[in-house]
Amino acid sequence: MKQKKISKRLIKNNLTAYSFIIVSLVTLLVLVYIPMISTVDYSFRRIGMVGFGDEWVGLENYRMLFSQSAFWRAIGNTILLAVMGLLTIPVGFLLAVLINSLGRGKLQEFFRVGFYLPNIITGVSVYLIFRVVLMGDGGLLNNFLSAITGRQIRIGWLADPKFARWGVTIIWVWMNMGYSMLMNLANLQSIPTDLYDAASIDGANALQKLVCITIPNMKSCFALLFVTGMINGLARFTDIFILSGSDSYGGAGGTLQTILMYVFQFSFETPNYGVASAGSMVLFVLVFIMTMINVKLTGFLKDEV
Amino acid sequence: MKRAKFTRYLTAAVLLVILVIILIPLVWSISMSFDRTATTYLPEFSLIPHEPTLFNYKAAAKMIDLPRYFLNTVIIVVINTTLAVFFSMMCGFAFAKLNFVGKRFWFIFMLAVMMVPFESRLVPLFLQYRDWGLLNTWWPLILGQFAYVYGTFFARSYISSIPDSLAESVYIDGGSQWRVFFSIILPLSKPIMSTLAILQVIANWNAYLWPLVVIRDYKKQMISVGVAMFNANQNATYYGPRMAVAVLSAIPLVILYLILQKHIVASIAVSGIKQ
Repeated sequence: MKQKKISKRLIKNNLTAYSFIIVSLVTLLVLVYIPMISTVDYSFRRIGMVGFGDEWVGLENYRMLFSQSAFWRAIGNTILLAVMGLLTIPVGFLLAVLINSLGRGKLQEFFRVGFYLPNIITGVSVYLIFRVVLMGDGGLLNNFLSAITGRQIRIGWLADPKFARWGVTIIWVWMNMGYSMLMNLANLQSIPTDLYDAASIDGANALQKLVCITIPNMKSCFALLFVTGMINGLARFTDIFILSGSDSYGGAGGTLQTILMYVFQFSFETPNYGVASAGSMVLFVLVFIMTMINVKLTGFLKDEV
Repeated sequence: MKRAKFTRYLTAAVLLVILVIILIPLVWSISMSFDRTATTYLPEFSLIPHEPTLFNYKAAAKMIDLPRYFLNTVIIVVINTTLAVFFSMMCGFAFAKLNFVGKRFWFIFMLAVMMVPFESRLVPLFLQYRDWGLLNTWWPLILGQFAYVYGTFFARSYISSIPDSLAESVYIDGGSQWRVFFSIILPLSKPIMSTLAILQVIANWNAYLWPLVVIRDYKKQMISVGVAMFNANQNATYYGPRMAVAVLSAIPLVILYLILQKHIVASIAVSGIKQ
């Protein structure tokens, strides 16, 4: 009799608990897990226009994908751009060191907030502004460079295949350095000050302190920014898509087409969802590798579960 | 001591110069949006308009239905932020304070989602909504908000730090866990809720790829896509009106940032989430 009462209460407690999470769980099942399985499934099928003939074709989509030089180029572009985007880390670190040296107070707060502003407003409007800033003819950047060097500079930062990757890297660094600065600053301020005091007693100068104390203590922060930077860089789409004039081929002779832009081209411009799904799988695997490295480095899931 | 002070001012000056260089493109775009000469060709660089005018804004108002895009976006931002924050608080509470069968499994089930980039399920998700006949509606934008995984993660660790003893008075009155959630947990969780809300507002305001894919009817479109389409449709000229539109669409976030600057910067430094 008593046992029955306890189990009844147990069931009731379980039901209450599940009432808090059930909506989210169903959402994740329907909108994340099932589509993810579908991506795998579709990548082995030929799926053209609206639901017609989704026949099983095995590895055909992957073979087609990897036989196209355009796809290899997209993979190469994506990785190259993601790596170039890592410039954000040293830039953010230098800013953080400078801002940190001001000491806590109003001045530090001002620069913290100021340098983070680009991160907040980054969006379509900023990309549109940068389309004009990076223009070859009369763009702000070329004007600036011309004024410094005293020569007429007309680099097509978004149009010239030789410079386009630098052009989009400039905007990437512009919009992400605030985040990198914040993360670096938080980590800088967590380094125990007695390490520096001890070094001062030993007669170390500022540079020696930076190299021997600061940088070794920043390792985990750099690692985090490296991995998150790579993950964001691999899935890069919006800024380049808009900077290329809403063209998924990517401007500058295809030097800017990322994997996701390639997938977009094959799903929403020339619908071949099988190929697009295979492309998505390649993107997924690349991101998954980086995420696994992230989990390993930060021990993220270990303490939490 | 004097030298230290000097170094400090020098550092501040260097930082100020860098900050000015970084923000100049924004100032330039504002200047161009008020410049009559920028209407038809790209003017020389100047921080103040050559010929001050509101013409570009009037021209833009005729060419693009900004009020509608603003309204659509504000509606979606409010709905999505409310849903995402509320459901992440519910999940966070369950995982922090309640015991149930399969708790560990479902928590991993949620966290694993962080490893699947949204972009890699873009195509099947699109096809799924197409089969449901929900393309060209707001449902694809809204439905995903019923699960906010990052939010759950942070809500859980925040709620864990609220002492259990606070809930005892509710139990003594015979109240349920839902009473505990509404009368104890939510009022005490304002800081984490506002952090999550800010992150959601920014993310939803800037969302581009998903609305671009699922909404074809421009009358239902979000501001990010609307503004980009407007730009793609203009030929290379009309710099002034294009800049006017860019400036207008960025204003809400700038205002939000100026009001909540310290809170936003602190939220991001603590959570590590970038939008």
